[in-house]
Amino acid sequence: MSATTAARPLARVLATTATVLLLASVLTFALGALSGANPAAAVLGDLATPADIARMEAQFGLDKPLPEQFLHWLGGAVTGDLGTSWFTGVPVSDSIAEALPVDLSIAGLALLLAVGIGGGAGIAAALHSGGRLDRAVTLVCSVLSTLPPFLIGIVLIIIFAVQFGALPTGGYQPLESGPGQWLRYAILPAFALSLDAAASLARQLRTSLVGALRENYVTGAEIRGFSARRVLFGHVLRNAAGPALTVLGMSVPLVLGGAVVTEKIFNLPGMAQLSLQAAEQHDVPVVQGTLLVTVAVVVAANLAVNAALTALNPAAVRPSGRAGGAPRLGRRARLGHLVRPGVPVRPGGRPVAERATAARTGTPGERSTS
Amino acid sequence: MRTLRRALRLPSARAALAVLALVALLALAGRALAPHDPLAQHPGQMLRGPSPGNPLGTDYLGRDVLSRLVAGTGLSVAGALEAVGAALLLGVLPALASVWLGKAVEWSVQRVADTLMVMPFTVFAIAVVAALGNGMHQAMLALGVLFAPLYFRVTRAAALGLRQAQYVEAAELMGASRWWILRVHIWGKILPTVAVTTAQAIGQALLVVSSLTFLGLGVQPPQPTWGGMLASDLGYLAQQPWAPLFPGLAIMLTVGALNLLADAIRDSGHAGAGSGGGGAGVGGSPAPATAAAPAAATSAASESAPDTAPVSAGTPASGAPRTEEADSHVTTR
Repeated sequence: MSATTAARPLARVLATTATVLLLASVLTFALGALSGANPAAAVLGDLATPADIARMEAQFGLDKPLPEQFLHWLGGAVTGDLGTSWFTGVPVSDSIAEALPVDLSIAGLALLLAVGIGGGAGIAAALHSGGRLDRAVTLVCSVLSTLPPFLIGIVLIIIFAVQFGALPTGGYQPLESGPGQWLRYAILPAFALSLDAAASLARQLRTSLVGALRENYVTGAEIRGFSARRVLFGHVLRNAAGPALTVLGMSVPLVLGGAVVTEKIFNLPGMAQLSLQAAEQHDVPVVQGTLLVTVAVVVAANLAVNAALTALNPAAVRPSGRAGGAPRLGRRARLGHLVRPGVPVRPGGRPVAERATAARTGTPGERSTS
Repeated sequence: MRTLRRALRLPSARAALAVLALVALLALAGRALAPHDPLAQHPGQMLRGPSPGNPLGTDYLGRDVLSRLVAGTGLSVAGALEAVGAALLLGVLPALASVWLGKAVEWSVQRVADTLMVMPFTVFAIAVVAALGNGMHQAMLALGVLFAPLYFRVTRAAALGLRQAQYVEAAELMGASRWWILRVHIWGKILPTVAVTTAQAIGQALLVVSSLTFLGLGVQPPQPTWGGMLASDLGYLAQQPWAPLFPGLAIMLTVGALNLLADAIRDSGHAGAGSGGGGAGVGGSPAPATAAAPAAATSAASESAPDTAPVSAGTPASGAPRTEEADSHVTTR
């Protein structure tokens, strides 16, 4: 893999990221502009005189034309200045800096739990494919997907906090007050939040693992006498983790969005409380700031997932524009040392292997869209 | 259409339809069917357990829970339908446009879809409600906008395959208009895909709507909704730990039925297309894996649409791009 071929997708990722962030900021700003709310009316209500309105609009720069306001706001946002709240005069970035760690720690812990629970369940189900365990995992995943995420939180409160009194019903302790304390408060919300992502992760991982386990190279590795563990963790999991990782990346916005509701249930002082309160007061800068920061977190998480995908599967970084068949052949050729010509193919295994390989090694966007 | 008819012959689809018919009946005639006035407060009988007069008990204001559940069906379901309807329009039309109207349109529509995909539902809905006012229509519009990329990706993936079908090219060479091709050749083929997505999206929308009403967005308090009932039950868990069960069960049953229906339609699509071909689950995930779930819907979309936004920021690089084989399945169907 030469540097030039690797650089091209990276440049593309960065270009797309920049576009997405720019569009998101336009949308966020437009929402504020659309609202037509102005600080004097929001703060003073009916008491506002035209002079008050003019004074406060000038104070917050709202008397300038919209494009100028947008550029000023965007310029500030890039340097970490999201303006000040119309009500309290507190800089928005300060309020967010207080609230964001709550969501990040809950959502981060939830993602960790999702990887642990979902990954374990997916691997176990795939290894016992068709068995009782497999069906149990599928059933639990299907049921979980019909539950509103906050219902799980309520059930957890009932069980652990109300019935057993083992854990607090809500509230939050920052990490600085000790990891034990933090975990005591964070574990229930994080667990409630993780189950949805865990279910989709388990389902996806099971599918790709079952497909990958039928591939020729697995038979080859088994014949060579590699231990089952080495085949699973060294070969199969690495190949099958791509789609599962993609699913995980897609659940980041869901988890962050769900964190909003979880915050309300567990009464956490996070972004949701901030933005809900601001929404009630028509405090436009705060609402805009929270939305923009949340989007930035999601984009950052997706970039991380992309990087992980690249690290996991070097074939995914191949230059685009090739025909669908080429990378597949390359992959086959590289796997050739594992697959001996005479190894019998399991009945029915071939088309699956064909599809799974194609799915795994295909460069995203390799098909020209024209 | 054949796929849809075939799907309706499956027992699971019939069971799902029976549940959905009941929900539809409650949604349309809930107010009339409710045994008591869902808004009438009886301070003397607060937080009572089930009794002959109140089969599901009463809530913290003494209101009959069964009546509120039945009367709340309408708003909950109407909200989800409104959001999905908006998403359908905002997703399918740009998807077709992106396939047929040239590179510039394609690029810009894709970037907009990417952007919408990184917006978390609840935070975006809060912002929209803050800007446009706290009403059901504003909240549902926000949801519809965020659901649109789902339709966009699924439809686009299906349409891309069809565009290169020989009979479509033949029709183009014969001088058929774009509109005629869309109407005659494309629409019927993407309909099952759109139907699967719709069933899943309504289920997902119902979950998000219940989250939003739980937060108090879109609905004013005295109006009963499933999510709102859950929110008020939360305050009285010590007295009535079982109370969230009823609205929760209503949501679960409805969403489960929708997921079952989506699976049935997709499975019959598969049966018709041979292996690995049709429906939203293109990209070679066998049937058990495509069990319906909010995220599964999106993942199916990503799997089947690698050509939308290769390694974009909005969507992590798809692990399972469509292959030429998958395309040929779609086209030869």
